[in-house]
Amino acid sequence: MVMKQRIVIIGNSAAGIGALEAIRKHDRLSSVTLVSAEDELVYSRCLLSHFLAGTLGEEGLLFRPADFYRRMEAEILPRRKVESVDPAGQQVVCDDGAKLDFDKLLIATGSSPKLPPHIPRKTAGVFVLRTVADAMAIRSGLERARNAVVLGGGLVGMKAAFALHKRGLRVTVVVRSSYVLSQMIDAGAAGLVMDSLREEGIEVLTGVDVTGVELQEGKVAAVKITGGGSSASARPCELLIVAKGVDANKELVRGTAIQHETGIITDAHMQTTLENIYAAGDVAETFDVALETRSINALWTCAMQQGKIAGLNMAGQARQYDGSVGLNSLNFPSVDLISFGVVQPAQEAGYEVLVQRRPAEGVYKKLVLKGDRIKGLVLVNRIDNAGVLLSLLGRKVNVAGFKDDLLNDRFSYATVLGKGGREEWRRYAQTSKTARVT
Amino acid sequence: MKEVFCLVERCLGCRSCEIACAVEHSRAKELTAAVKEEPRPAYRVRVSCVDERGRKIRLRSVAIQCRQCDEPACAEACIVGGIVKDETDGVVRFDQARCVGCWSCVMVCPYGAIVRVSGQGIAVKCDRCAGRETPACVEACPVRALVFIEPEEFAALGHEAENCHYRE
Repeated sequence: MVMKQRIVIIGNSAAGIGALEAIRKHDRLSSVTLVSAEDELVYSRCLLSHFLAGTLGEEGLLFRPADFYRRMEAEILPRRKVESVDPAGQQVVCDDGAKLDFDKLLIATGSSPKLPPHIPRKTAGVFVLRTVADAMAIRSGLERARNAVVLGGGLVGMKAAFALHKRGLRVTVVVRSSYVLSQMIDAGAAGLVMDSLREEGIEVLTGVDVTGVELQEGKVAAVKITGGGSSASARPCELLIVAKGVDANKELVRGTAIQHETGIITDAHMQTTLENIYAAGDVAETFDVALETRSINALWTCAMQQGKIAGLNMAGQARQYDGSVGLNSLNFPSVDLISFGVVQPAQEAGYEVLVQRRPAEGVYKKLVLKGDRIKGLVLVNRIDNAGVLLSLLGRKVNVAGFKDDLLNDRFSYATVLGKGGREEWRRYAQTSKTARVT
Repeated sequence: MKEVFCLVERCLGCRSCEIACAVEHSRAKELTAAVKEEPRPAYRVRVSCVDERGRKIRLRSVAIQCRQCDEPACAEACIVGGIVKDETDGVVRFDQARCVGCWSCVMVCPYGAIVRVSGQGIAVKCDRCAGRETPACVEACPVRALVFIEPEEFAALGHEAENCHYRE
């Protein structure tokens, strides 16, 4: 029997929305209140670069229809922050003084862009790309800018670089590592991505860093760059995007008994160390099945999954989270790429690495195995069936019998069916009843 | 709810299902006209042939399309929110018009059933032939390897197939 509860969700992005939908699948009785620091519209952060590029309008960002909360019978409190959580008193307090009592609480506060100390905050021309407000601010700054610098070689930075390039700006990407996307791919794949950037006319500087900015009339006019074998130099820049990764928004749990390290620590039910208080998304540390350790995977897909698991458990549907895997896909001119799990294993750690290079076709494939189990993958320009390999990783399938087939272009689910024996056949026969990835 | 299944012991790998799927998803819905259409109509079922040497199952070919999962991984991965499980008929709906070609669904589909349409930069998947009683692929299969039946019914058939195709 479903009991009527007071459920509070802090955050209305992927994790919060995933939780709300999961709750309402099983529980239409409880009250659900979402508190959002942003506006009430449910939009997709992953699309902000499309909005920046101008290929999507504001309405194109919508992740759920405008009547979403009404259909979900949920109350949304937009434009306010939760300032404190009182676990014992089962209450949260918002910055406008509003107090919300809860029986179950989900902390899905997400993350915020890191800002290096030598980059001045709140300076005209300095931007991050996290929220729709950030994207609008950049758009309004486009007119006065001719030269843009993107600081950071992660996915947000790369997508921002392409968007600004599409807007006709001269774009330079500044990366401290020796190649871009170093958190998600290896040098082999990154070479193809950098080729794509450069072919488009985007400058990529590796092994260098922005050490400061020069201002003119309070606005950014140039950035100071050092490293890369040459002496410090200044380069004109009227628009600087800082994309150096994100930090979990976990201030809320400081001073409470909710344990946290890099993020808020969660168990296999997405519950924090306190009963009835859950965490999901960019703010949550979960068990990473590829790394085999606790980690934050600040990714849309992971947030949706974790939100769903948290929501199910909050609605009294006991559901275990098998853990997360860091996973990314991208579509740049001449590069389609998917990667997940461990892509650059430590040499001594007993990993096996299979690599296939076909430069003429722009194809690069890399598979990382440990104990005959898939632990990581990079695919460039032959990405179909990546999900089949991800499923093998998640299910910890022993691939000793068909290792040689895994990087073959003809590899497909049929390979798994053919090699997997009775167990795999039964999975297929049961189909949707059991089909899950991770 | 009924699902599309492939009886592997019957599948000849003739790819009639692929053609029927492409025709069904063309504007003309007729083969001779469909082949001339631009962009070329995409098929959402894929026949994969497997080298049977050293296999446990004497599996030669199998037609794979979307399994319409109960909790679709693609729906959780789609960054535009364009993939939704329709609880009324069990079909996982894919809003093609909103697809931005990010390949998140390709990244997570455990069956490799999402198809990228080359040249258009979007993905498509089986919609189980909206408006049709029996999906086109099932209707077109000349050896009735593709069936549209309840999972329970298939499980019964499947175990039979499993046994006759095991060498061990």
